[in-house]
Amino acid sequence: MGVQKDRVKFNVGGRVMETTSTTLANAGRNSMFGAMFDENWNLITNTESERFIDRNPDCFGVLLDLLRTGELHVPPNIPEKLLYREALYYGLLDHVRAAKWGPFDGNRLRLSCSMQGQAPGDGTAIRAGPDGGCCVAHGSMVHVYDWMLEEHPPLNLDYQRVNDVGWVDSDNVVIGVSERLGRGDGGMGLFSSHTGELRYKFHVCHENQVKSYTAGALSFSSDYKIFSSCKGRSNEYGVGVWDQVTGKQIDFFYEPLGWSLGDADKLQWLEGSNCLLVATMFPRKDNCYISLLDFREKRMVWCWSDVGAPFAVDEKRVRDAIAMEDNSSICVVNEFEDLGFMDLRSSAATSIRWSSRSRLMKGKMPEEPCYPKLALHAGQLFSSMNDCISVFCGPEWVLTSRLRRSYGGSICDFSIGGDRLFALHSEENVFDIWETPTPPII
Amino acid sequence: MSDQKKNFRLEEFKHREGIDPDKTWTMLEHAIHEIYNQNISGLSYEVLYRNAYNMVLHKFGDKLYSGLVETMTARLKEIARSLEATQGGSFLEEMNKKWNDHNKALKMIREIMMYMDRIYIPHAGKTPVDQLGLNLWRENVIYSNQISTRLLNALLELVYGERTGEVINRGLFRNITKMLMDLGPSVYGQEFETQFLLVSAEFYQAESQKLIECCACGDFLKIAESRMKQEIDRVSYYLDPMTEKKITNVVEKVMIENNLLILIHMDSGLVSMLCNDKYEDLGRMYKLFRRVANGLFKIYEVMTSHIKESGKQLVMDRDRLKDPVEFGVSEDDIEITLDKVMMLFRYLQEKDEFESYYKRHLAKRLLYGKTVSDDVERSFIVKLRTECGYQFTSKLEGMFTDMKTSRDTMQGFYTSHPKLRDGPTLTVQVLTAEVWPTQSIVTCNLPAEMSELCEKFQSYYLGMHMGRKLSWQTDMGTADLKATFGKGQKHQLNVSTYQMCVLMLFNNADRLSYKEIEQATKIPSSNLKSCLQSLALVKKRNVLRKEPMSKDVGEDDAFFVNDKFRSKLYKVKIGTVVAQKESEPEKLETRKRVEEDRKPLIEATIVRIMKSRKLLDHNNLVAEVTKQLQSRFLPNPTAVKKHIESLIEREFLERDARDRKMYRYLY
Repeated sequence: MGVQKDRVKFNVGGRVMETTSTTLANAGRNSMFGAMFDENWNLITNTESERFIDRNPDCFGVLLDLLRTGELHVPPNIPEKLLYREALYYGLLDHVRAAKWGPFDGNRLRLSCSMQGQAPGDGTAIRAGPDGGCCVAHGSMVHVYDWMLEEHPPLNLDYQRVNDVGWVDSDNVVIGVSERLGRGDGGMGLFSSHTGELRYKFHVCHENQVKSYTAGALSFSSDYKIFSSCKGRSNEYGVGVWDQVTGKQIDFFYEPLGWSLGDADKLQWLEGSNCLLVATMFPRKDNCYISLLDFREKRMVWCWSDVGAPFAVDEKRVRDAIAMEDNSSICVVNEFEDLGFMDLRSSAATSIRWSSRSRLMKGKMPEEPCYPKLALHAGQLFSSMNDCISVFCGPEWVLTSRLRRSYGGSICDFSIGGDRLFALHSEENVFDIWETPTPPII
Repeated sequence: MSDQKKNFRLEEFKHREGIDPDKTWTMLEHAIHEIYNQNISGLSYEVLYRNAYNMVLHKFGDKLYSGLVETMTARLKEIARSLEATQGGSFLEEMNKKWNDHNKALKMIREIMMYMDRIYIPHAGKTPVDQLGLNLWRENVIYSNQISTRLLNALLELVYGERTGEVINRGLFRNITKMLMDLGPSVYGQEFETQFLLVSAEFYQAESQKLIECCACGDFLKIAESRMKQEIDRVSYYLDPMTEKKITNVVEKVMIENNLLILIHMDSGLVSMLCNDKYEDLGRMYKLFRRVANGLFKIYEVMTSHIKESGKQLVMDRDRLKDPVEFGVSEDDIEITLDKVMMLFRYLQEKDEFESYYKRHLAKRLLYGKTVSDDVERSFIVKLRTECGYQFTSKLEGMFTDMKTSRDTMQGFYTSHPKLRDGPTLTVQVLTAEVWPTQSIVTCNLPAEMSELCEKFQSYYLGMHMGRKLSWQTDMGTADLKATFGKGQKHQLNVSTYQMCVLMLFNNADRLSYKEIEQATKIPSSNLKSCLQSLALVKKRNVLRKEPMSKDVGEDDAFFVNDKFRSKLYKVKIGTVVAQKESEPEKLETRKRVEEDRKPLIEATIVRIMKSRKLLDHNNLVAEVTKQLQSRFLPNPTAVKKHIESLIEREFLERDARDRKMYRYLY
């Protein structure tokens, strides 16, 4: 092997540590160590002399180990926040985040921690951000947390009731709120997730006039569009489409007679089929309406409704719906957490195929029920019910895991993103963060 | 929770006391100057990084950022002044050097201010340090009025130098181009490209004017081509790739498009190149002219009129008119010539008309035994067959079969009638009526000897083949006669059947009037006239004499045997005086017959198409018919329409009830 020529000696806060330039190269050009490879500074030419860095030596050691092995091991005596600050100093924060938890797998999730919020009312929605942060909507406020679970300034749009929140990217959050009668307030706004400032307010135009409106559910597409269900003052019921880059309204799908779009509880953009799923559920309306909209042809390409369906004794009402493009089906769930499936390939579904396997807890309803919610991630189906989340896998959607903790009451919403699952409880203003541990050493 | 928060705030407060923003900035400002002065030996990267970090951490990001902008602006203004002061030729070198220095400094400054770049700039919505450095250089150096013009002039001068044959520093130019592009494509466009294109247009305008006056077309094109290549090279050596299309457009427009007509019509232009086989020049002209709008169209126009002109000259040339293709002697030569004929044939649109004439000539050659070689005839028919398909040549091939069958039949006839060997020999060619271009004509009266023979043959043949009908084509045969003239001269006369009939009459008479001959032979008068003409009026072939001695044969003329007939040859071939060329009415006749033949073909094609397609609109049907028939001829769309209508009348087709343009096949 011979003598290693690329040794580098550091004196960090009085402790001398040695490493190699190969290890430091793992930090990348955009870090403080990146400058060490810049010949202009002549930093590593002399292997004998040591470089003094006036920082915490314990944290430097942990970070150096991260560069060496790609793994993060934080001794109990180092507070995480201190480590994060040091990582930020060296420009290694992204390395720390990447090493902190593993790639998402619904069957290996562990509760990482629970966060207590200060909101006065019930939770409305929780949304995972693309890089591990999240935002939580309570009443008229949205609280934003980064991946280190540091809270940023909260968001509000004219202090109107928040109906839905969504991340455009890790720096931008859109919230949709109810309108305030006669004031032109409300609607939909784009906020900086770091500073909480309002960057843009979206308008609805009807016959060339700007109208005030209530923005309901939100969805985003990869070609930079924002969709929102809208209820306007004068007949602007339907789904609006805006451009994320220009902020301009580019389309509006007016609600057909006898159908519900403007009140929708859920929008889901389907990349594969270029369609938008719009679902309005009981109890917002007396009936359920689920449809797929094709904006290019301005028509409903698929629809289903329980209008006129006879109700049996064990009343099954659809409470949430999610399209599963890979299976060409829509999954729905009722208040007893029965999963049901509808075929997307025929243009109108006739009936729901209820899966009896997933019938889990008939009749045992808690005092303050939360209606089930559905999510889909990498072929795994998630369903929340009361205080736990069930994970279903495989072509038959077998129950494979159950996430539960006892404190905080029922789960009113949950969201998956940035390799994390966030679950918001309704009673205690608490949300849980579930992560997949990093892979085993061997 | 709230206790913790208070503690934290206290700490932060302490920190804020811990740094003096002015002092920290002064230190960083000094460092920035030292970096620009390339004197970094006294600087510690870690210390500078920590200080910049502290300023951002303690909310002095604004001060740090505006300080950086201010200091860098001051340095760049200084650089601009020193650049303005540079003398003469070293301006670009100096600019390149300063640009490199600035970039190096910028990189180091960014490394110091990395924390500000990462944390403060995105949140405050400021321009990142890298971009800031470029922007400030652009505003303070490039956009400085003096430098802007001087830079442009220096660059244009270099280009001009290279165009006039000087060697320039391409590497330096490339660096400056890269600088302008780094500052933004619009900077490259504004500061250099726009003017470069204008100046280039002027340069090439002047050059083409000069060249047009003194050069031949070929030389001009050669220079234009090399200029084009030079410009493309120039772009690849030291300009931005997006300039290539623009500069080649300039050269195309100024050198070629503006001089398009002059170049084509020059004395040494297109026609001269075509006439003198200047393939290289022609290739060059094609390559260059295709780049400009209308270029190839103009070539096409001039070429068309030239070809038409040459074609007309060829047709007008009396010597070549008779035999447009010269036949060689050896078989190979014949092959080559036939191939050439086939090439011409491919360009014929009305192949069926050709067929009709070809058939007639072939018939004559075969019947009169005039073919040079059967093999050649057959080989040409094989060529026609490969070109046009079996149907086209089946009749022609049928003619050959008839010839062969006839030979066998004759052999059979004489074997079965051995007694006949002593009398005159009859050779009959039995022609299938469909295959040969025969017309039904009145059979003339044959001499008694012959007609007896003919009847024998007829009964022999009909005995062999039941249910056939023979009719004698007396206008097509030949005969060899042995004649003894007044003074005992013996000759063998090779004559046509008609001529034979006439001459045989003189075995029993010395003088016969036209009327008598006509009555005795029943030869149609037009044929009889030309027959008598060739017997009595052709010099050295006049076996008959006529009274009165006029040039034409009249109905009141009388004929004698020419006792004074002399010839050096024993065998005398007496031709028939026929008009060599077809007369106008004959032409029309042929044409009409061809048209007539086309009718069933067109109808059959329409029915075949409709049978397979069932439903088709008018335009597509016509197109399809044309496509299927074009190997034989180009059908006239109105003719096709007429046939469609006729087919509708006869209820092969009907119009669609909803769309009148659609036809439906009825079955």
